[in-house]
Amino acid sequence: MPSADVAVIGAGLAGLLTAVRLAERGARVVVLAEGNGALHWAGGPIDLGFRPGARNAGAAVGHLARRRGHPYALLGAEVAPAVDWFVRLTTELGLPHAGSLDGGFGPLPTGIGGIRPVSVVPEAQVPALLPWAPGERLVVTGHAGYKDFWPRAVASSLARPEVWGGFARPERVIGIAVEWPGLRERRNLNALRIAEQFDDPDWRAATLDVTARAVASAGSGPLRVGLPAVLGLRDHARVLAEATQRLGAPLLELPLVPPGIPGIRLHDALRAKLRALGGRILIGERVARVETTKTKVTAVATEAATRELVTRVGALVLATGGVAGSGLVGDPNGSIRETVLGLPADGPPIERWLHGDPLDPASLPIAAAGVRTDDALRPVHPQRPGEGPLFDNVRVVGSLLAGQHWMVDRSGDGVALASAWRGAASLESRRAPTGRPSRRAEAVR
Amino acid sequence: MTIASVVEEAIHETVGLSTDECLKCNICNEVCPVARVDDRFPGPKYVGPQAQRFRLAAPVPINLDGRPVHTPDLTVDWCSGCGWCTTACPAGVKIAEVNSRARASIRAGHRPRLRDWLISQTDLLGRVGSPFTPLANWTLQNRLFRWVLELVLGIHRRAPLPKYAGSSFRSRFKGRGGLVGRAGEVELPPPDRAVVYFHGCAANYYEQHVAEAAIAVLERNGFQVIAPPQNCCGLPMISNGLYQGARSKARDNLDVLAEYARRGYRIVGTSTSCTHTLKAEYAEMLDLHDDDARAVSQATWDICEFLLELHEEGRLDTEFGRVDLELPYHAPCQLRSHGIGLPAMDLFALVPGLRAVDMDHDCCGIAGTYGLKKEKYDIAMRVGDDLFRGIEASRASQTACDSETCRWQIASATDRPSRHPVEYLAAAYAAADDATRDAPAAAH
Repeated sequence: MPSADVAVIGAGLAGLLTAVRLAERGARVVVLAEGNGALHWAGGPIDLGFRPGARNAGAAVGHLARRRGHPYALLGAEVAPAVDWFVRLTTELGLPHAGSLDGGFGPLPTGIGGIRPVSVVPEAQVPALLPWAPGERLVVTGHAGYKDFWPRAVASSLARPEVWGGFARPERVIGIAVEWPGLRERRNLNALRIAEQFDDPDWRAATLDVTARAVASAGSGPLRVGLPAVLGLRDHARVLAEATQRLGAPLLELPLVPPGIPGIRLHDALRAKLRALGGRILIGERVARVETTKTKVTAVATEAATRELVTRVGALVLATGGVAGSGLVGDPNGSIRETVLGLPADGPPIERWLHGDPLDPASLPIAAAGVRTDDALRPVHPQRPGEGPLFDNVRVVGSLLAGQHWMVDRSGDGVALASAWRGAASLESRRAPTGRPSRRAEAVR
Repeated sequence: MTIASVVEEAIHETVGLSTDECLKCNICNEVCPVARVDDRFPGPKYVGPQAQRFRLAAPVPINLDGRPVHTPDLTVDWCSGCGWCTTACPAGVKIAEVNSRARASIRAGHRPRLRDWLISQTDLLGRVGSPFTPLANWTLQNRLFRWVLELVLGIHRRAPLPKYAGSSFRSRFKGRGGLVGRAGEVELPPPDRAVVYFHGCAANYYEQHVAEAAIAVLERNGFQVIAPPQNCCGLPMISNGLYQGARSKARDNLDVLAEYARRGYRIVGTSTSCTHTLKAEYAEMLDLHDDDARAVSQATWDICEFLLELHEEGRLDTEFGRVDLELPYHAPCQLRSHGIGLPAMDLFALVPGLRAVDMDHDCCGIAGTYGLKKEKYDIAMRVGDDLFRGIEASRASQTACDSETCRWQIASATDRPSRHPVEYLAAAYAAADDATRDAPAAAH
């Protein structure tokens, strides 16, 4: 039956985690998403929050939790248990993440030669959390001719001390481009293709050989090796183990421009987990309309080739993203609306949507727009929160929540984890409503 | 009508202009099954939204109508047309449709390659081959002939071709007094007691067991089956860029089906790619937007979608007998394009003993006629590789899938039969009858 205890709209990190958590607790869950979510762009780190000078992510989260209107004001206490659960879950899924709120930040070099302050990372980025020993060097290497990763350019950027933003850094950074077997003249290579090459044991062995020789040419002494984040897709754990062993040094997978292989790995693993728990995920399902009573959502209709697909639901989770996703739309008159239920959203006045230097992330106050909720993450009216939730059986998770400026706060993943945790906990396992099912509407496209 | 509404409609409804919504986010390239295995295809983003900017500057930007349009990039021909790019796009860009039109624009004005023309003529191939079934089947299984076929025509010698089933489904159905006329020509039961069956070429010439299973299941639920005159839906021609021929097939089908649709009959098909063509591609690919096309689109149902709807209305006979089977299920790309969920899985859940597993694999590789082609056969096999391995690892004796060419591909690659979901429902009804016969006293 197209019915579910809970329908989750959106298949990004927040949506998939909420769905998995609900399914773990026995709910029948369906994920409906217009397209694939932002995990396909993700480079690996789980951003819980950051501010210059904060000694660890816990301090940054605490700071944000004291800021009026930030989602952490509601969810600050949930971050720690949510991170614990996430680490356990990813370990069980074979993609172990490490790090914590109180462990301190580490500097992770990126595939364009910048630095990201990170606190929770997948296994292939864990060395970024460890301090650099005296004399330790960073060797950045990768395939010569791969257009998304230029080892020598990355190294020359990372050789500039100011790039490291005050973090301890390696004594030297060396860039070495090598030719990986069989890739010459393949101009259409993207990260996904190379990652799948690494899943092939023979190609992998030959590639690690030439890469190890290049690393050895950098001389002896302690070092870490930075590689583009392409170390296998389905067989990542084995690729990482073999590469670490063959290169004889700690490895760092450097995040690239999209596609984001670490994010795709996580997406695939969460999706498989959800299915193993009996959940269903349908991509390409854009919500056309929602059936409601005064206080509840009863069904979700998604666009189809001819007539809508109507799924009857006991509860609804909105994980549709914020301004940069498709969860919000702004009108020329300055009002901002949530797109599935048409909920009123909170955001800056139209003259302050964009503000200042366009290349400065802080110049986009509109990025903090979103839906206001009560403690249980039920949507409320932004100007009249005291009137109570607009729908009893709706929860809002992830970057749709108002008040976060994830480009500046770097709190986007932490909000996703904590809101998934809280949202799932506050939805009791429900049965779909019984009785006469509604007819599918004949939709004119 | 405001200017804003016109612009909005143009952006959202027009295939070509939907590319304005593209964020260049790369998600289509990530989900493309072909780009995943072969980088001669640069990926849907490059041949779609990016190349489209140059195509839009061409003299006939959107409505092609057989006139040549300059295209900057011939690699679009490596696109298999599976449609996953459109499905996964978070911004609503109709990437696969853009690519199909671009391919048609390359073909337009040129005589088609003999191979591409031939494999698009599915109903002609059926009509010609069926009377000579033993000879045709022997020939098509003959390795020497297949080698010659590859050499001369470019149809890969190991590509899965179906077996003829003798006289066509239509002639058998007609022979036993089935309703085969046009609306108005024959006396018809009312629309709530009958459906129009769009059998497509596969069930007509090769897989009559699918047609028979569909009829058994529909009749079991109180629907008489009408099989009016019909052509190939036109999809193989669309896939090969032969839009003119496809339009002519579409027109013939619409002539017959629209009258039924207007009289309130639902059109139910067992080939999920045919039903998707009737629903969506006549408009999106062939620019057929008239009343006939709209009426047929609105009336068309994939058979599993239809049966699940009956179930929701409480009208489906759910007295299924036991079918003890582990059953890997592959949802074809075309089914995903319907946007109707996974109705076969929901129906399987009603059958006691049937342990269906959705394989959750993107594409089996064949994409209609793509994997038959000599230069594309290897790509198709690599696209489906994980699916085939998953099925082999399951040790299941057979698999289920809603689309015929996918079934042939999967059956050939995994060396076990692949059946339409409705066949299992028919088997479950038959099992219920057997159980009642065997143990009349135990009933009730």
